[in-house]
Amino acid sequence: MQKHTITAIICLAGALVASAIAGASFLSMRTPDIIVRGPGVTEVKMLSDWFPGIKGTAGDTEVYVMKGADDGESMLVLGGTHPNEPSGHLSAILLIENAIPKTGTLYVIPRANNSGFTVNDPQEGSPQSYTIQTPSGPRWFRYGSRATNPIDQWPDPNVYIHASSGQTLSGSETRNLNRGYPGRPDGTLTEKVCYGIVQLIKQQNVTITVDLHEASPEYPVINAIVAHPKAMQLASDTVLGLEMQDIKISLEPSPVNLRGLSHRELGDFTDTLPLLMETANASQGRLRGRTDAALVLTGKDKWYVRAAKLGRLYVPYDEKGHPIEERVGRHVTAIGEILNSWNLENPDKPIEIENLPGYEDLQTKGVGAYLLPIPAK
Amino acid sequence: MSQEFWLFILMVGVFAAGCFALKWPVSVSMLLASVAGALAGGVQDPIRHLVEGTFGYVDTIMTIATAMMFMTGFRDSGALEALTAAVIKKFHKLPGILTVLLTFVIMVPGMITGSSTASVLTSGAVVAPMFMSMGMSAVDSGALISIAAILGMIAPPVNIPAMIIGGGIDMPYVGFELPLILLTFPLAIVFALWFGWRKVKKGDHSAMLSKLDFSTLNKYGGLRLFSPLIFIFVLMILDKAVPRIFSLGMPLIFILGTALTWIAGKRFNILKSAKKSIEDVMPVLGILVGVGMFIQIMTATGVRGFIVVNALSVPPALLYLMIAISIPLFGAISAFGSASVLGVPFMLALLSQDQIIAAAALSLIASLGDFMPPTALAAIFGAQVVGLEKYGGVLKKLIIPGIIIVVYAILFIVFSKQIRAIL
Amino acid sequence: MFFIYLAILAVVLALTVWVLFDTKKLSLQVTAAMVIVPLLLRLLMIK
Ligand SMILES: [Zn+2]
Repeated sequence: MQKHTITAIICLAGALVASAIAGASFLSMRTPDIIVRGPGVTEVKMLSDWFPGIKGTAGDTEVYVMKGADDGESMLVLGGTHPNEPSGHLSAILLIENAIPKTGTLYVIPRANNSGFTVNDPQEGSPQSYTIQTPSGPRWFRYGSRATNPIDQWPDPNVYIHASSGQTLSGSETRNLNRGYPGRPDGTLTEKVCYGIVQLIKQQNVTITVDLHEASPEYPVINAIVAHPKAMQLASDTVLGLEMQDIKISLEPSPVNLRGLSHRELGDFTDTLPLLMETANASQGRLRGRTDAALVLTGKDKWYVRAAKLGRLYVPYDEKGHPIEERVGRHVTAIGEILNSWNLENPDKPIEIENLPGYEDLQTKGVGAYLLPIPAK
Repeated sequence: MSQEFWLFILMVGVFAAGCFALKWPVSVSMLLASVAGALAGGVQDPIRHLVEGTFGYVDTIMTIATAMMFMTGFRDSGALEALTAAVIKKFHKLPGILTVLLTFVIMVPGMITGSSTASVLTSGAVVAPMFMSMGMSAVDSGALISIAAILGMIAPPVNIPAMIIGGGIDMPYVGFELPLILLTFPLAIVFALWFGWRKVKKGDHSAMLSKLDFSTLNKYGGLRLFSPLIFIFVLMILDKAVPRIFSLGMPLIFILGTALTWIAGKRFNILKSAKKSIEDVMPVLGILVGVGMFIQIMTATGVRGFIVVNALSVPPALLYLMIAISIPLFGAISAFGSASVLGVPFMLALLSQDQIIAAAALSLIASLGDFMPPTALAAIFGAQVVGLEKYGGVLKKLIIPGIIIVVYAILFIVFSKQIRAIL
Repeated sequence: MFFIYLAILAVVLALTVWVLFDTKKLSLQVTAAMVIVPLLLRLLMIK
């Protein structure tokens, strides 16, 4: 054998070994985190029950149905629209494992972009998961990609054209669930998932839809609630209610010219009242330092502290960071406040949900105190 | 000094040592710098991170590889030489106008696809021999092609860095056409004349004309011979005009074009031609893979945050200087990466300006990243299509134009509101 | 379109492996090996 053939074999072997090690790690992302059925869960359906077009695809995702004793209005909570924004995913899980609806129905989709939970964004250095201590032991949760896994939707076009408005965005936004609404039954996988969520809202006559997000601390819309015009009254009542609890949140109207987002299209295309909420997540920002599971959980980051001193941020930032308890607490408390505001205005058709973790309790006891033990198989 | 500072020094140091002292290829030096950074920075799961970073460029690798296959096929079919002969014969009496026109021709694929590589390797490769037979030196031709390619990437309708910057602040890509035309077209004319006007020979062309070889053209006819080029232009335009029906994407367009080169002109071995093209382009593909690893490790260890926050740390008066320096420098990694990593934070610092004009100007500055070694895609391919082994000479010729481009773009940001008032 | 692109990627990967075994330059071989990794993992639909 010639010398260059031997070196070629050695090089190829090296490539195969690296591929095998990394490939095993990438494949491990396909194992989903475990969500325990709480006492309020009456049924676990799949989104394909409302739109069969996604059955058997990576986009199909669990819908936790939590029916109260009395029929009434309903609320849909979307967690994990962006799987790299953990407080949305975790808040949805806390609702599933704790909430007990009395009147009306709560629908929770904890992994709205299910495909995005199976991959990490390249060049972001993201952790694959983070672990929370609970009284019954540690529980881990998935940290995913902002967008649909390219394995499930590829290639991206040069330019993403939003189907119903013609608005153009950079090609990678094709895989962004929150740019795809109202979706298309014959579109990309991401558009099909959007379409499925719209079908659920239409067929179940969902009264209020809350889309849970996080934003990087340098992004202007943060610690905010974004509302479609027809949900404006509900949102401003909610902001007042949260201020009474010393939680500062800003109210942003849904921009008319920014299309494909849940707070715009769900309001235009269905009868639901759409709201979107943002908390502060350092692990998705461009200014962050070392990126790992600890950053996801604590938000402690020296570069963000420095950027805050330079006046570059839209949230206060100090050495205490923005821990996951605070971010989940904001989301869960705001959901409670949205329900309060709705019930005050609509006493004849309330949505009453009990046993939501309180903001102060979450800060003192931690998120883990509200996570159930994983049942033995 | 922070730990991130020393990690950054370590990574750059290993890279420089590998590249310059040990004369390793850029790709391998990047790989070793990334490994060093991952180990010293205590990154968990280092092999997963190194490999994950490379996936940021899988699509770019496919575009570049297929574009190169097309260009090689077009050349091997004899079409490239024939096209030069035909154009020079027709237009040799009007060299000034021809240079400007050809510069815009180079820009077109970049304007349609948003990729400077598409410009250099398609129309750039076609125009290169024309420039040289008009009397321009190889280095000048390569430089002008590189400049035209990045201006094409920024010129409307498709400008991906502007989309990336806009996406970071939730600004839709609407209303960018006019500012982008004002940013790019005047520069294209200026640089075409700068490189072309003085250099192209005037007067007697008979000697030059007699050297042209028309045999392939006469044998196959222009329409048949040039059909692959016309074909990919038509597909690119259809992709842009009716994306809902077409949307083939550049790699597929280039593959179809390559297949057509095989039947359009002189017979050649398409497998050997494709393999040769991948061999020629392999160092660039390797650089992209290495850079992907490098960014992933910089991000995981916090070096990226260190760079971004320090770039934002300057007093407001120096902000423009920092933009002018840091965005092109970071573009050493990639123009798109620079638009995302630095373009977005700077855009957030410029929200009080006219946002569309500011974002358009930032995208132009980001495009200079394609001149910045080690990636320097536009410069490397610019040298390649004019037949130069090394791109250092081309790079030197790009320094002053690069500075002019940055200054022009910064003026657009500073006076964005006044410019908006006129528009 | 997905599988058409996988086919294009397979062509690029095959040519890369060919270059790896054909060239006599070690630096080009190492570079080709680096390029093979992401292409292979995408072709196998792992990442
Ligand atoms: Zn989000």
